[in-house]
Amino acid sequence: MPLWRAFHSHLRHLVSTFVLAWSVGLSGALAQEVPCTLVLSGQVIDAHDREALAFAEVYLPDLGRSAIADSTGHYRIAGLCAGDVLVRVLHFGCEPVERTITLKTDMEFDFRLEHHAEELRAAEIARDRPDEHVGQAHAQVDKDAMARSSGRTLGEMIAVLPGVTTLNSGPTISKPMVHGLTGNRVLVLNQGIRQEDQQWGSEHAPNLDPFSSDRITVVKGAASVQYGSDAIGGVVITEPVELPREGPVSGEVRGVGMLNGQAIGGNGMLQGGVKGVRGLGWRVQGSGRSMGDSRASEYVLSNTGMHETGASASIGFRDHRWNVAGYGSWYARGSGILRAAHIGNLTDLQNAITSGQPWYIGDHTREIDAPRQTVEHLLAKAEAGYAVNERGRLVVTYGYQTDDRQEYDIRRGGRSGTPALDLSLTTHTGDVVYKHWLGKQVHGKVGFSGVYQENINVPGTGIRPLIPNYRKESGGVYAIEHYALNEKLEFEAGARFEMTHLLVAKYTASDVLILPEHDFTNHALSLGANWSMTDSTRIRFNLSSAFRPPHVSELYSEGLHHGSAAIEVGDAALASERAWKGVVDLETALFKGRAHALVTAHASRINHFIYLRPEGYQLTIRGAFPVFNYVATDALISGIDASFDLRITGPFSWRLRASTVHGRDLVRDEWLFQMPSDRVENTFAFTPRRTGRWKELELAATSTLVFEQQRIPVGVDFTDPPRTYHLLGLSASAARPLGKGELRLGLRGSNLLNTAYRDYLDRFRYYTDARGIDIALWITYRFGNN
Amino acid sequence: MNNKPKKPNTMKTRMKYLTYALIATATITACKKDDDDPVTPTTPPVNEEELITTLRLHFHSAGGAEHKMFVFTDLDGDGGNAPVIMADTLSHDSIYHVEIEVLNESESPAENITEEIEEESDVHQFFFQVSGANATVMYDDMDANMLPIGLESMWTIGAASNGTVIVTLRHEPDKTATGVSSGDITNAGGETDIEVTFPLVIE
Repeated sequence: MPLWRAFHSHLRHLVSTFVLAWSVGLSGALAQEVPCTLVLSGQVIDAHDREALAFAEVYLPDLGRSAIADSTGHYRIAGLCAGDVLVRVLHFGCEPVERTITLKTDMEFDFRLEHHAEELRAAEIARDRPDEHVGQAHAQVDKDAMARSSGRTLGEMIAVLPGVTTLNSGPTISKPMVHGLTGNRVLVLNQGIRQEDQQWGSEHAPNLDPFSSDRITVVKGAASVQYGSDAIGGVVITEPVELPREGPVSGEVRGVGMLNGQAIGGNGMLQGGVKGVRGLGWRVQGSGRSMGDSRASEYVLSNTGMHETGASASIGFRDHRWNVAGYGSWYARGSGILRAAHIGNLTDLQNAITSGQPWYIGDHTREIDAPRQTVEHLLAKAEAGYAVNERGRLVVTYGYQTDDRQEYDIRRGGRSGTPALDLSLTTHTGDVVYKHWLGKQVHGKVGFSGVYQENINVPGTGIRPLIPNYRKESGGVYAIEHYALNEKLEFEAGARFEMTHLLVAKYTASDVLILPEHDFTNHALSLGANWSMTDSTRIRFNLSSAFRPPHVSELYSEGLHHGSAAIEVGDAALASERAWKGVVDLETALFKGRAHALVTAHASRINHFIYLRPEGYQLTIRGAFPVFNYVATDALISGIDASFDLRITGPFSWRLRASTVHGRDLVRDEWLFQMPSDRVENTFAFTPRRTGRWKELELAATSTLVFEQQRIPVGVDFTDPPRTYHLLGLSASAARPLGKGELRLGLRGSNLLNTAYRDYLDRFRYYTDARGIDIALWITYRFGNN
Repeated sequence: MNNKPKKPNTMKTRMKYLTYALIATATITACKKDDDDPVTPTTPPVNEEELITTLRLHFHSAGGAEHKMFVFTDLDGDGGNAPVIMADTLSHDSIYHVEIEVLNESESPAENITEEIEEESDVHQFFFQVSGANATVMYDDMDANMLPIGLESMWTIGAASNGTVIVTLRHEPDKTATGVSSGDITNAGGETDIEVTFPLVIE
């Protein structure tokens, strides 16, 4: 019996919950294949007490169709073709059940859902991607939600989740922010590999193509035990795609056009099995996007064009003992930086703030001039897993990535074509993990992970490097164990120990090479519990710690940072940041499943929180600049994320998302800079039943209200935070069968009232309004089973 | 069947070796000291090519009787040591022809940046904002579009007084905007390459 799967199976319970949450909006929309008329119906019941399970989801993954059982557990799916049909039944608080049913005539089939884990494991359950975050609050953006966000950046795609925002530098550069933390405090995992792409820079967006994955998970807790350093605020995970094990070729093509910026983009994917070799699968994918200057409500945002290209390929083999996989991806992006955001000194900045609009506004163009940046990111990954026995599995993963970044400034003497910053970052990561079962109730994993990294300033810029060359080695060991007390209550505990060695090679102002070395030793602990109080209510609790050794930029920066009109001075004596974060996550279904509520309360104490603090002025030939020193304090960040989904009546539903974050500097007893302000998002959706061959119709109106940030530190910012703003969005999407596949298309309008606004978390708010009205059209065609 | 219990042990041993191997690899890599290690280059980075360390204003009175100077020097660039500012006293009721010299003295010999500005004169302009002292400044040069540069200017000095003058060099200003060609910086835009405040003492 493939028992090693067992520990996945009970993690899958959480996946099912999220599938259910996401599918609420789709539930009303059912479709029928015209030439097929068979009906599958029956009842979903609890295997123990034979009671009906209300509102279970009956899902046909191969057909992309689903039905929700009524309050007496009865379900009915009509319009099916004769033959084998795969049915997956999901219910809150239960393990999902999957059966293949052979349809010859109309058929009644009752599903018995289990709470009892052992019996379920005996059932043949298709392998799902394991949920690795039992005790951690997390949220996901799935394939369909990603399709609806086509044309947006990774940061914008996940910013729809409560508690997740973005730190922007104009319309093209956005960094994910979780509970007010970003940059080196939010770890990005790309295909299971720590993404290393100069993420310390506030104008450095993640260098990855979101469509290389089909699901993005955001973990909202401190997660250093599992993932190592930097996971203080949370983790953004672009999940590895599960490769097909067999079967014919399937795929997807997508096109998107956006009015604002006259953007066009596309994505294509093919995947399949290999005939005669069961378990062997492959997938190739490529995408591209190009846009010209965006528009604010009243003017062109000059030099904000961008173009990006991404491609990925993977191949994998899996049987009951082995899994071997290889993955490679390439990503390149060139993006313009708003011309008017390039300033020479503080006077220019003050002029920009008082004038209220950019000093440079040109005609719309697709050309990208300096200031601009180009990045190229390469990732290669190899993974092998082996089921040592029925109770243990060993997985070895190696990742190699290079990240090349050039930043071009406006320079004198024809030097604008020479990068002002030219960095090449190479990272090797290795992980060995042993996943195991101990007895019937305990499962977990122990592992070792290592990182070797070199950062090199490519010579020839003619400018002193912003950050010096460095070499970083780190290694950690960890263990996480889960203990299932009974089917309703599960505990998690984990610990990690990690050491980091850093060698810095820096030329001083008098051109003397210094080679300072730093050692950081850190540990992290985590404790979590997952309690399914009733079928409809679950509480997740997690208290965990995370750490982050200071980045080289915080240790050795010295000089003028043009992007922020400030002289930034590092402090080589800074120590690691250490954080404890507590998260309580309450999820409940109300009104017989018509409503779904999720509330996440979080608080984190970060000792030795490193930030830039203004300390007087320094005179240069460009005038006086404020000096910002990297200093450490103790910080307390707390807040609440809430979401509420309600099916009002028939096809009408209402979704509410709200979040608030409070960040305090405990030493100085004042607010932290650059924390997200409060926000509320209301969506009214209309999901009518099918019309002709169209299904999954959805019309939605979204109102986003972002409040003025009132919680600001004194004397840190150059101007007051922007005012409260409100944005209106409308979207429509639908799907229908076409040929042997399925066509999906959608229209998305953002900032439909063309509101002129600035956002507190946009670093270019000193210079310009944010983007104005935008209308996007996307079309996806999926064929085969995917 | 009898072998089964043993299997985990052998695997554990294998895993142990694998872990050792990984640690060993990491350690070996860590100890490796290449002579031409790209992380620790033996040659220092080239000097900052566009660095401006020095701004000199040469004041020539009519007939060349007087040669006075305003000088700003910051040899180590932004940050580090504080800059040195020196300004001669100007004579009341006189006219000076002023020439501007811009240098990068961190290189040897010093790089003449004045030439770069002359070559790109259509995208550069100096501004002179006098306050408190009796002096007016007029441009005395033109770029190819017949618009001022400011490398050369005429300073008309009035009665004895004390004040300041801010000398600003803008890159890519809008020279055709209102007032800009007559020396008003308000609508100039562009970004600032130089902004130095000199004491202006007239005796």
